[in-house]
Amino acid sequence: MRDDTLHEPGQALHVEDLTVSYGTAPALWDIDLDIPPGVMCAIVGPNGAGKSTLIKATLGLVRPVAGHVRFLGHEIGAMRGRIGYVPQRHSVDWDFPTTARDVVEMGLYRSLGWFRRPGRDARARAMDALAELGMQDYADRQISQLSGGQQQRVFLARALVQDAPILILDEPLAGVDASTEAIIIDLLKRLRDAGRTVIVVHHDLTTVQSYFDWMVMLNVRIIAQGPVRDVYTPENLRAAYGRQLAMIAVPEGGAV
Amino acid sequence: MIAAFFDSIPAMILLTGILVGASGALLGSFLVLRGNAMLTDAISHSIVFGIIIVWLLTRQLSGPVQLIGAAATGVLTVVLTEALARSRLVKMDAAIGLVFPALFAMGVILISLYARDVHIHVDTVLLGEIGFVWLNTVTIWGQPVPVAVATLTAVLVINLGFVLGLWKELKLASFDPGLAAALGFAPAVLHYALLTLTSMTAVAAFDAVGAILFIAFVIVPPATAYLLTRRLWLMLVLSVALSIAACVAGYVLARVWDVSIAGMMASMTGLWFATALLFAPDRGLVAQALQRRAQALDHDCRALVAHLFTHQGTPEMAEENTQRALVDHLGWSRPRARAAILRAHDRAFIERQGGLLSLRDKGVAEAELIFGTKGTNRG
Amino acid sequence: MLADLMASQIVRTVLVGAAMLGAISGMLGAFAVLRRQSLLGDALAHAALPGVCLGFLVAGARDLGSILAGAFLTGALAALAMMLITRTTRLKTDAALGIVLSVFFAVGVVLLTHVQATGGAASAGLASFLFGQAAAILASDLWIMGGIGLVVLGLVLALWKEFKLVSFDADFARAQGFPVTMLEAMLTIMVALAIVVGLQLVGVVLMVALLIAPAAAARQWTNRLGMMVALSALIGAGSGAAGALISATTRGLATGPVVVLVATAAVLVSLALAPGRGLVWQALSARRARARISDGRILAAMQELAEAHDDPRYPAEQGMLGAALGKAPAPGQFDALERRGLIRAVTHAPEPTPHWQLTEAGQRAARSEEDDKT
Repeated sequence: MRDDTLHEPGQALHVEDLTVSYGTAPALWDIDLDIPPGVMCAIVGPNGAGKSTLIKATLGLVRPVAGHVRFLGHEIGAMRGRIGYVPQRHSVDWDFPTTARDVVEMGLYRSLGWFRRPGRDARARAMDALAELGMQDYADRQISQLSGGQQQRVFLARALVQDAPILILDEPLAGVDASTEAIIIDLLKRLRDAGRTVIVVHHDLTTVQSYFDWMVMLNVRIIAQGPVRDVYTPENLRAAYGRQLAMIAVPEGGAV
Repeated sequence: MIAAFFDSIPAMILLTGILVGASGALLGSFLVLRGNAMLTDAISHSIVFGIIIVWLLTRQLSGPVQLIGAAATGVLTVVLTEALARSRLVKMDAAIGLVFPALFAMGVILISLYARDVHIHVDTVLLGEIGFVWLNTVTIWGQPVPVAVATLTAVLVINLGFVLGLWKELKLASFDPGLAAALGFAPAVLHYALLTLTSMTAVAAFDAVGAILFIAFVIVPPATAYLLTRRLWLMLVLSVALSIAACVAGYVLARVWDVSIAGMMASMTGLWFATALLFAPDRGLVAQALQRRAQALDHDCRALVAHLFTHQGTPEMAEENTQRALVDHLGWSRPRARAAILRAHDRAFIERQGGLLSLRDKGVAEAELIFGTKGTNRG
Repeated sequence: MLADLMASQIVRTVLVGAAMLGAISGMLGAFAVLRRQSLLGDALAHAALPGVCLGFLVAGARDLGSILAGAFLTGALAALAMMLITRTTRLKTDAALGIVLSVFFAVGVVLLTHVQATGGAASAGLASFLFGQAAAILASDLWIMGGIGLVVLGLVLALWKEFKLVSFDADFARAQGFPVTMLEAMLTIMVALAIVVGLQLVGVVLMVALLIAPAAAARQWTNRLGMMVALSALIGAGSGAAGALISATTRGLATGPVVVLVATAAVLVSLALAPGRGLVWQALSARRARARISDGRILAAMQELAEAHDDPRYPAEQGMLGAALGKAPAPGQFDALERRGLIRAVTHAPEPTPHWQLTEAGQRAARSEEDDKT
């Protein structure tokens, strides 16, 4: 029986019993997850751990066979537009005929409603978002002419322009250059400090401790979750990555 | 007896169809595996251009010179398409859809302008005239044989030789081109050789079934066989057999209903495909639906066991390990939850005490199997 | 002669009809191409043949309405069959397309011969759907085509940003709460409509080109979706009208092949000449880039390599220099430097490629270049 009243409104993201299955093998099994508001959270795990699937399942892009999801107590249907989603960069054809500003304006389409076109106001907001990412000079550039890091910044600007309390990013730092990485992390931290919740599927274990304050370790099931200093331990790393653990920054005094 | 066979019109028509089907299916098996089906479609259309060019140059409508022309046209089509895609100005699927229609259009225009009085009729291009293959004969060892039959037999032999001779190379290059290249098998050469032979087969079959129906013979029986088996040699044998069956059935029905023979033969290949799609054992739609029903219940039962296991011994256990929790937290309907509980009970996984569900030893063992762990309960 | 032609009512009808059909195909072809549905268009076009025959059988005569309805019906069936095959079997998209295309077409051929055997004189009009016969367009047809065109145009304009978003990033659209499945279905249905309507112009076999070529041509000239769609419609209309005119004035030439050749010519011209993307532009800009690599930069690059290897006589491989400079210098430039005594050619076994080494004079020149800069 579904509640119409808010369920777990104190958590930015509340997941219970979430299970996703592609055919015979489960991609996600019995996920219980609570991410409090105002943190910058990393979701980490080895390849095939289901990190992207988790994101997509919470956003309703993939149908789970069991479980439920709440954002700040609301179902996803009521939270559309209040979650800024940044998909993986390669999920899109960058040869599409459109400019950087156009892509950012797409983040406002929902708020415009059916049949309306983006006007001057939308254009201005898009330019502001681009400027936050240092991309204002590229506003009229065709997106195929942008580098990987620039494309990633445009994608982030698109989520930014929604002014949403929750941001979910899928591998935003994969394949970007160092200066882009710095710009993105700096912006995300500022957003977190301003009270938003930032959830990032992160591919690089070595930077988790310096970038994030909350983390979730996932490998089809939840291995561990909580503040980074509590979760980033050799035992948890071993449990999540098993034999895939090679040369990873180890917490002081720990041997892996 | 042999003379009677070759003089019989129905036998010749059938034989032509069978030869088209067999030679097409041999190559088609690999084309389907390699994802080249639409490229075959492209070649099938564009050989029309090759045919008219060769005819304009040599006034010959069949024979080896046409086969060579076909090979050249096939290669030209593929080369142009891949060059266009490589320029990055146009995507691969669009490139295919640009090159072959242009060549086909040019071929049709040339035919309309310069070949009106000759045997090439624009409609024939598409539909073939298998009913009239017996009109053009060549004398072999004193016996008049339809040209189409002679050419197709030669092509069949060549295709068979190619497939059997290069069996392991074809197999490897189709499944793992990277490894094939590293081992020096030159998968690109194989790629072009395969498509060249396809072009030649297309032109040999042209008179009989026309350009587009040829595609059905090349793609559909192998795709049907693909639904029925995972073994490559069996797939080849099955596709040839299905092809032959389609030709025979198609011929009979076409005579009964007075419709295009080639069209009917090609339609039959579609019928076999649809049948296999529905009724293939294990993988057909009917089998899948039955399996899904059986699996869903088992799946729910395992999900129940996993759920109980993870909450066992925890403070929330009293609330979580109940039927109501299945409905509220897992989002199952009441009948579904009941069915899962009954199933788990039947399989001695759980027992019920009042409102609380708990795992029995067998259930605990099953849960450990699910999680691949022994002894550890999640913290 | 052209004036006489244009005076003819029939010719005007045909031209207007052909232009309309070309425009509709061009407009929706842009979306099909961007969504990688080009070959789906091919399959749907071939699959329309049985529907055309059915429409004829049901109506008893060449009635555009029932023919279009039949074509749309079998096209829709084909699309559903394709989805079924790709979702429930291990067969890939290309195989599914090939199966659907050839089997539906085969059934269409069977029906066609059946109609031709029983249908009488009017059934001759059916064969015109194989290669297109714009001359068969009646004035009454123009209303149907115009109506469909307006509806499609209206939908595209009204839902412009939704179609744009769904074509570019369906996941993001879904996350935003847009009804992506419905929008994608609408786009596919409109493409199917464009195909069904365009069959009269170019026929089932060549329809795919009318769908793709104007869009591919338009893409070369602009980076904006709106401009691309508009240009594609324009090129489609132009190809349609030109093709119809040419085929009407030449005896025995079907419209389809001519329209396709005109459209293909437009693509070739666009690929070659478009500024910023076209091949001519690419060649010119490459030459300009090469010209910009001055002798000084070549010497400086060689000097850097020599210093890195601590060997003033280091033999630099020509390809490496090209990579360091960002563009390969013209071969003549090395020869010219050699003639000036600044570098000399050397061999560096076992590599067979050209290598160059700085002479004393070259080393001095490189150092003074560096001094000039600091």
